Amino acid sequence: MRNVKWFLVGVLISVVMVACSEAIAHEMTPTYPKLRPSFAEDIYTTSIDLFNRRQDVEYYEVGIFDKDFKVVPFTTIYKIVKVSYLSKVNINVYIKAKDVNKAVYICSQSKIRKEQDVRTVVASRICSKFK
Amino acid sequence: MFNKIALVVLGLLGSSYVQAETAPINGVVQSRCIIQTDVAGTYGNPNAYTLSTDPQAGGEPVVIRYDVSLADAYYAEITAPQEFSSSPAINDTLTWSGDTEVKAVSDATGMGQYESTKIELGMMDRYDLTATGSTWFKTSSEVTLGGNKAFPGGNYTALVLAECIAK
Repeated sequence: MRNVKWFLVGVLISVVMVACSEAIAHEMTPTYPKLRPSFAEDIYTTSIDLFNRRQDVEYYEVGIFDKDFKVVPFTTIYKIVKVSYLSKVNINVYIKAKDVNKAVYICSQSKIRKEQDVRTVVASRICSKFK
Repeated sequence: MFNKIALVVLGLLGSSYVQAETAPINGVVQSRCIIQTDVAGTYGNPNAYTLSTDPQAGGEPVVIRYDVSLADAYYAEITAPQEFSSSPAINDTLTWSGDTEVKAVSDATGMGQYESTKIELGMMDRYDLTATGSTWFKTSSEVTLGGNKAFPGGNYTALVLAECIAK
């Protein structure tokens, strides 16, 4: 009976820990996206999934970069995307064929609101690599 | 005869029970890196001209957790603040200092060398995440206003940039 009680306490603690940790994460997949030809000539495309578990963040900016993290031109519907808390968004990006070899990273970065009242804030950025 | 029939029926019931128990749940785990903010951090104000995340100064360092599900696939890059993202108007030079260190790891064998093998480039620390699991990083920050002048009253916010970059 005593063991059962401690087991239940453990379960409760882990549930609370999971609940707490789930409130504040930024997640992007896949790790290694592939650029493939799109419906338009000389335009390549890929898609990423963004999952927002940060309650303090609503918007993420998507960017494509070369090996030195210099910006590579691309297009998408919105470069700053609203991703509500606990929701997942699929983002398609399009890039010209001539830029495909330059593109190395696709990144998403959290956008912090100016009126944030805490004194330090974490801006998170996840970069996948084209393969 | 009745016993044999009963055994067959029991056998059938048993096998269907086993089938029910082994109904599969399918799922795919994609490799990924997740950045979590465990502690957002706060600046303490130990004297008029300093803001510090040192607990002894009344502050709290930032704690960021990286969860990695693919070994040897990511770098963690954490940059301590070098400017305020919002603050009252300041008319003097700010001097920033900051550092990041490994606070805890989920796999002491695979991640034990993370701190000793990190690369420091100014305020940015780069870690090679060679093992799967969770790593907690602690980032501290301190800023001093030039000429020991007092910080004007108001809210000060500074950004710690936590990046996870695929290799």
